[in-house]
Amino acid sequence: MKLSSAKVSKESKGASPSHGGHHKNSLHLKHRSHHSILPLPPVDALEQWSSVTVDMYNSNNNNHNQQQQPQTSHTSTSRSSDYSAGGDGEPSGTGNKWASRLLKECARAISDKDSSKIHHLLWMLNELASPYGDCDQKLASYFLQALFCKATESGQRCFKTLTSVAEKSHSFDSARKLILKFQEVSPWTTFGHVAANGAILEALDGEPKLHIIDISNTLCTQWPTLLEALATRNDDTPHLKLTVVVTANIVRSVMKEISQRMEKFARLMGVPFEFNVISGLNHIGELTKEALGVLEDEAVAVNCIGALRRVDVGERAALIQMFRSLGPKVVTVVEEEADFSSTRHDFVKCFEECLRFYTLYFEMLDECFTATSNEKLMLERECSRSIVRVLACDNDQDKEGECERRERGSQWSERLKEVFSPVRFSDDVADDVKALLKRYKAGWALAQAHQNETGLYLTWKEEAVVWVSAWKP
Amino acid sequence: MMKGGFEVVHATLDMIQPRREPIWDFTTTTVSSIPRQQQCINSDRNELSEWVEHVTKQLIDDLPAENTETDHRGSLQLQEADTSMACEENFAPSVLGDFRPSKTVTGEEVQWNRLNEQGLSLITLLLECAVAISIDNLGEAHRMLLELTQMASPYAVSCAERVVAYFAKAMSSRVINSWLGICSPLINFKTVHSAFQGFNNVSPFIKFAHFTSNQAILEAFHRRDRVHIIDLDIMQGLQWPALFHILATRIEGPPHVTMTGFGNSMELLVETGKQLSNFAKRLGMSFEFHPVGTKFGEIDVRTVQLRRGETLAVHWLQHSLYDATGPDWKTMRLIEQLAPRVVTLVEQDLSHGGSFLDRFVGSLHYYSTMFDSLGAYLPADDPNRHRIEHCLLYREINNILAIGGPARSGEEKFKQWRSELAARNCFLQVPMSSNSMAQAQLILNMFPPAHGYRLVQGDGTLRLGWKDTSLFTASAWTSHSSR
Repeated sequence: MKLSSAKVSKESKGASPSHGGHHKNSLHLKHRSHHSILPLPPVDALEQWSSVTVDMYNSNNNNHNQQQQPQTSHTSTSRSSDYSAGGDGEPSGTGNKWASRLLKECARAISDKDSSKIHHLLWMLNELASPYGDCDQKLASYFLQALFCKATESGQRCFKTLTSVAEKSHSFDSARKLILKFQEVSPWTTFGHVAANGAILEALDGEPKLHIIDISNTLCTQWPTLLEALATRNDDTPHLKLTVVVTANIVRSVMKEISQRMEKFARLMGVPFEFNVISGLNHIGELTKEALGVLEDEAVAVNCIGALRRVDVGERAALIQMFRSLGPKVVTVVEEEADFSSTRHDFVKCFEECLRFYTLYFEMLDECFTATSNEKLMLERECSRSIVRVLACDNDQDKEGECERRERGSQWSERLKEVFSPVRFSDDVADDVKALLKRYKAGWALAQAHQNETGLYLTWKEEAVVWVSAWKP
Repeated sequence: MMKGGFEVVHATLDMIQPRREPIWDFTTTTVSSIPRQQQCINSDRNELSEWVEHVTKQLIDDLPAENTETDHRGSLQLQEADTSMACEENFAPSVLGDFRPSKTVTGEEVQWNRLNEQGLSLITLLLECAVAISIDNLGEAHRMLLELTQMASPYAVSCAERVVAYFAKAMSSRVINSWLGICSPLINFKTVHSAFQGFNNVSPFIKFAHFTSNQAILEAFHRRDRVHIIDLDIMQGLQWPALFHILATRIEGPPHVTMTGFGNSMELLVETGKQLSNFAKRLGMSFEFHPVGTKFGEIDVRTVQLRRGETLAVHWLQHSLYDATGPDWKTMRLIEQLAPRVVTLVEQDLSHGGSFLDRFVGSLHYYSTMFDSLGAYLPADDPNRHRIEHCLLYREINNILAIGGPARSGEEKFKQWRSELAARNCFLQVPMSSNSMAQAQLILNMFPPAHGYRLVQGDGTLRLGWKDTSLFTASAWTSHSSR
């Protein structure tokens, strides 16, 4: 039944908040009678609008010949020109981002509590989305999932189910393969590693006893190069104690294997090495100075990769204070450039920021991996869990699992400045990073922070995506 | 649009069958005795589908029997040419399906077993989920689907896993649209047509449909000067150049051809018409094209501009991508009214009617087989294979499970069109001739691994399937009151 031929229902005109009892804001996942399964009568304005969107969707997939802008080549770095992505092999123009438009409209409708509009948009998204299609289809699919969870108030349950399934199907092999493959095709993670290692090595230079506290879920992929650097220094090789704090269950189960490998590698490198794992915490916020076992004569470095965002917003200041109390020589922080924190009480703003960030990320994945890559799929699914967490789970209510309230570099800097002073990355480190980026496809660049900001940014197609910074007391 | 391959095939079969009485080409053969060396890889049995059947036997037993293709399991025609196809192809590691044990090291065999187990557990969960949906326990179904959609990958080596990934997604879509109370598809026809073409390149089913139907139409048009072909779902008209070529080079000279093509988008129809007209012109054949942008079942009979003295052929290649023709009873009535000289019908051996569980079980079996046939030939990471599976097969699966069904569309679909045609007095079946059979055989020879495809002739129809499962059936009918 065509949209245009459906009748318009009087009650659903406009965004009037007065609804009949039929539509509720929080609809539970219960069965609706078969008799009501019919094409939804569209709202006047919606009808025209949604057929425009459908046209956009169709022409998006069809317009090889009609694109105004040239096809992207490897040398193009700006996102404002075309990129060619697409699971079904057809180019899509950046002008026609149907998924983004539909999703934003839907988020606004949810915020406005416009039931019939919500239903109409969810319907469209449901029909057009696919997690196995092109970027738009994927974004539509994963954000639809989050919106559906929100509308049915099942966000918490969904997140738990998604996470436990992912944990069950992960193994050391699969996790390792995933991380290594990602690092091979994209500098998203290696950027932070190289810069942080550079800062750490410089700060700990000359110290005989090192204690690096690694709060991350990187499966220690950061450390082999550091160990190598320590081993090949002219002076005496220092003793390295590495304490890894993990919270993700997926990572916990594989730490045993990892510790064996790290110890073996250190032996190979001839670096005196001690490896500890702290895995009993539910939240990083629970971490205490005592648990870390820092000794008087140790030169301490604290390394946080994507860690601060997992701390409850209210506990972030306290954690940073705790770091200070360890008397570290350097604190390195790597985070992704997105703000889900200051927007957390405004659903639409948070949604839009979430969409912006994940669109970037998905587009990046699409370009770096092949169309049929299982690793890419795993990473996308990881995102889908985060998206559900951020959008469909109530703030601060859930004490299980970690929150994922990202903040931008400038926001983290504000926090860290209370207690630490920024350390500038040396030219050597900047050179190392640039050399790293050269190893990857075009599109990546290093950007220095602006006037009042600190740290380095990894940019992809001129958008800042990852931020790294170094701090000292 | 015209490929060299088509011309070659037709050049060898350029004879035109004189009109003769329908003959019964039914052949009974014993269960094929495939050379034993292939048994080690169980190549004769479609393992995934067999297992699916085994596990759902309980469910099937509770449902009304409707799978007529089970009758033909025993009567497989031995295709000797096919089995001589290189066995080596089947062992090529890059195209192994998960149920074929590796020829290499034991380590890999162990991995095969593990894949096998995972595949089985996924399918079990999928079935449980289908049952939940069938009893309207959407909350539970949703929870299981969250699991399934995280566990199964459509890029897996295992065909079972790929199938599960798509079925799970289709059912998720259903859960959402059930909850919304809206069930209306949004289709990108261009993407679908493009995937259809891709499918045509790697799989013989479409060509089988085209060539066998063309042969039957050709035979019906014997010695007729003015002919009219109605294609109920013309898409890009890939079928017709081949027929035009033969008609144009007939001994008695080309007829005047009128074609009425039905489709969903006027724009695409006009384009198709243009292409066909150009082609006919190049052949020196007089041709007229009438595009109709409405569903066939919804038109008035006068929309078809049938002229006196025109011999009419109605052609329909059925698929599950979308509802092409509208209500079945209307379509049937219209065909009756038109009283064509020949109706060529190619059906999927899949019932679109019945309850959700009926359709689920039937389509799981059907599409497992289809995925297996692709997996035997194309590597797991082939983007073209992915496009076909995603843009074509998944579209069908979604349409069957999430959109289709009487409760949603409000109409009952015929279980099987040829049964319906047979039941009506005004139609008489025209058995597919041996020429049609020969055409089908030629096509099979173009598609490795030919030994996997099975061509069966029986009941006047031609059936093409993969291993033990029939997937498409071609039949031809004539109207008693036709000119």
